[in-house]
Amino acid sequence: MKANLLGKKIAFYVLIIIVWQGIDSAEIWPDNIFPSPIQVGEDLLYGVSDGSLFYGIATSMWRLVIGLSIAIGGGMLLGIFMARVETVNQTIGSLVLGLQSIPSVAWVPLAILWFGLSDSGIIFVTAIGAIFAVTINTYTGVKNIDPSFIEAARNMGAKGSQLVTTILIPAAFPYMISGFKQGWAFAWRGVIGAELLFSFLGLGFLLNVGRQLNDVSQVIAMMLVIMGIGILIDGFVFKKLEDKVMTKWGLR
Amino acid sequence: MGKIEAKNIIKYFQHDGKPLKAIGGVNLTVDDGEFVCIVGPSGCGKSTFLRILAGLEKPDDGEVLLDGKKLVNTGPDRIMVFQEGALFPWLTVEDNVEYGLKVAGIPENERHDISKRYLDMMQLSQFANSYTYQLSTGMKQRVAIARALVMDPDVLLMDEPFAALDSQTRDLLLVEMQMIWQKTKKTIIFVTHNVPEAAVLGSRVAVFSHRPSVVKKSLDIDYKRPRVAEDENLGKFEKEILAALRHQGPK
Repeated sequence: MKANLLGKKIAFYVLIIIVWQGIDSAEIWPDNIFPSPIQVGEDLLYGVSDGSLFYGIATSMWRLVIGLSIAIGGGMLLGIFMARVETVNQTIGSLVLGLQSIPSVAWVPLAILWFGLSDSGIIFVTAIGAIFAVTINTYTGVKNIDPSFIEAARNMGAKGSQLVTTILIPAAFPYMISGFKQGWAFAWRGVIGAELLFSFLGLGFLLNVGRQLNDVSQVIAMMLVIMGIGILIDGFVFKKLEDKVMTKWGLR
Repeated sequence: MGKIEAKNIIKYFQHDGKPLKAIGGVNLTVDDGEFVCIVGPSGCGKSTFLRILAGLEKPDDGEVLLDGKKLVNTGPDRIMVFQEGALFPWLTVEDNVEYGLKVAGIPENERHDISKRYLDMMQLSQFANSYTYQLSTGMKQRVAIARALVMDPDVLLMDEPFAALDSQTRDLLLVEMQMIWQKTKKTIIFVTHNVPEAAVLGSRVAVFSHRPSVVKKSLDIDYKRPRVAEDENLGKFEKEILAALRHQGPK
């Protein structure tokens, strides 16, 4: 069954490449508009051999990790406060919903004005794009905690920060994981978008360089890398984490 | 002076936006080492009364005294065993049992010694490293009881802990609960809607009236232990409890 599924997937992608090569061989569009898969592959190999691809990946990932960490830390804190203090929810809560509707690239002009063309600006865009997804999921998670968990813990003497770390966070964790997953997706879009507009290193920058050089195969190569990293992180980091948490919490 | 004393407890519920008097002045004094079962018609506020004793809810009037001292908040001197156990699914059985000790800042090796004693008592030793989703309902309630006992509370409060169990598991736990009580000499207040269960467990049974509830009858059950539910000699106690329950007038 599993081998069968994998076989289908491989066959599908092989088919795409064959069709792609076929269209290219038909010479409908010139190569500088529609490159062949071989040209894209060569571009990738070139990026690997001169190290620019790895440097780009490392730069983007570093920004992602810092930005997402800020978003996770801040989002959890804000979400817990919103869930536990009604006034915070009634005031900041409505603002959070509004802010979440702003696409992360829309923060770029403000980030440039505030931080200049710097890493901090890109990290700001990444973090702000992800933080509200974490906040809202944390809020929902804490709100959905079985009240008897909190009562039992208080009954056994837990209060204040002890209650937060030993009950609220672990009890809401399955929801928080969804928040982290959404947050990561927003952060990844945010970091690439910001790099495109900041034009300051990273995969988004390499993508933009491709455009400036009219190098379509470089543009497509970078898009494939961005997609590939997305698939890897989604499928390995977050799926694994989610599976583990769901099993341990007895939710599946 | 009793171990724990409830004085003229009054509690209103919100019903369709209007206050409804659920508990209408309950007085109950439980002596040290007593095993008191509370029975009453559904909706009479017996579980709420227990939560008030635990300090998880505030009465609208009246007060609760422990060793003559007025209680305000919840705390580990009165540990509650919840109907569904309220075990933490992210912790192992052992970590669940040690939770309260950890909160109290007791060092790890001491915690282990204490939890081991109670895991043995509740026959849970081989499940120490299991997670709660791996346990049956009966096992979960054993864990919940062990988690309460490690705190060595002055009063153990139990809110229909056996309501969700199958009858075989329940019979077993009824016997064990009596042995635990005899061994630990704890003061126990046990809420149930099951009359035979109350007759088996209680050294005294307090019957609540329909709301607004008061203690309608207090019946000492002076009979040898361990008792089992099918013992016919308990029948006359059960009849008395049932009569008191029935003697309530229309709903």
